Amino acid sequence: MSLSDVIRWLTSTPVNTVVMDYRWVWPISEILHFCGLAVMVGTVGAFDLRLLGLGKGVAPATLHRSLRYGVAAFVLSATTGSLFIFGQPDQYFYNAAFKFKVVALLLLGLNVSLFYTLEARRVLALGPNDDVPLRAKLIAATSLTLLVSIMLFGRMLTFFRP
Amino acid sequence: MLTSLLIWLEDTPGSVWVREYPSLFGFPFILFLHTLGLAMLAGVSIAIDLWLLNAVTFARTVRMTGLIRVMWLGLGINTASGVALLLAYPAKALTNPVFYAKLLLVVGGVYAVARINREAFPGGAAIAGAPINAIAKRWAVGSLVIWAGTIATGRLLAYTHSVLFASQLP
Repeated sequence: MSLSDVIRWLTSTPVNTVVMDYRWVWPISEILHFCGLAVMVGTVGAFDLRLLGLGKGVAPATLHRSLRYGVAAFVLSATTGSLFIFGQPDQYFYNAAFKFKVVALLLLGLNVSLFYTLEARRVLALGPNDDVPLRAKLIAATSLTLLVSIMLFGRMLTFFRP
Repeated sequence: MLTSLLIWLEDTPGSVWVREYPSLFGFPFILFLHTLGLAMLAGVSIAIDLWLLNAVTFARTVRMTGLIRVMWLGLGINTASGVALLLAYPAKALTNPVFYAKLLLVVGGVYAVARINREAFPGGAAIAGAPINAIAKRWAVGSLVIWAGTIATGRLLAYTHSVLFASQLP
């Protein structure tokens, strides 16, 4: 199955019809996509900043509790993002910014796995003013960089349209 | 009078630069900075709101100065990038009622952040065992609604404008 077959299939689905034929589906999806983005970047970013020492004074476990909202927000953003792809697949699959955004998202997922495998137990036991191990700081710095990259490539989508 | 002011603004070197600079470091990058500022201000504010709404007392002593600084830095980035975006297409924004609704919501959001900081973290901190008072929780709910409204109106700007340039005004 080639990329053009996938695009043809996506544009023939009822989801494509809903996204493209109802005037307010796209703008409402965009609003929800950005709300999801703000919650995800806010909760994950605040946690990362604490690990990097900028939010010292708050126990990492306290900020970690809000991450479940970040996960829910990610699901919301991914769902609405999928609607855009169903709506105009060719605008995304042939777009360099979209490809970079997907890579950044995958790397973010890998980075989250690294955190929970290697550092979560140690970090979540720390007190409000405790310093975080260097490896956890590196993971947090990577996470912040990837979050900013996701926003950057997301905003660049319009300017890289085929 | 307004039309000639808008035409003058559109012709200023700053406006032309933001609109026409042929690089990703022009208009696209300013747009990205606006999103980054939103994430720093509204995003961190939302994270704090959710935290306050899900707790009854502060389990441990907290000092918020670092995160509060991040929010104010986000406000600075948003204000600077917002002014640049407004300068690029003044007629598009200033003739759209949704733009004024967004501005009002931003002011409301910033006020909510300041109130929450004062109610929940007087002096930038809260001591262990201190209750999270009802006023702070109410402002946290208000803040969530306001930021959702800000994002909604911000996105709707792209769909609700009637003109792009002052020359299109009747």
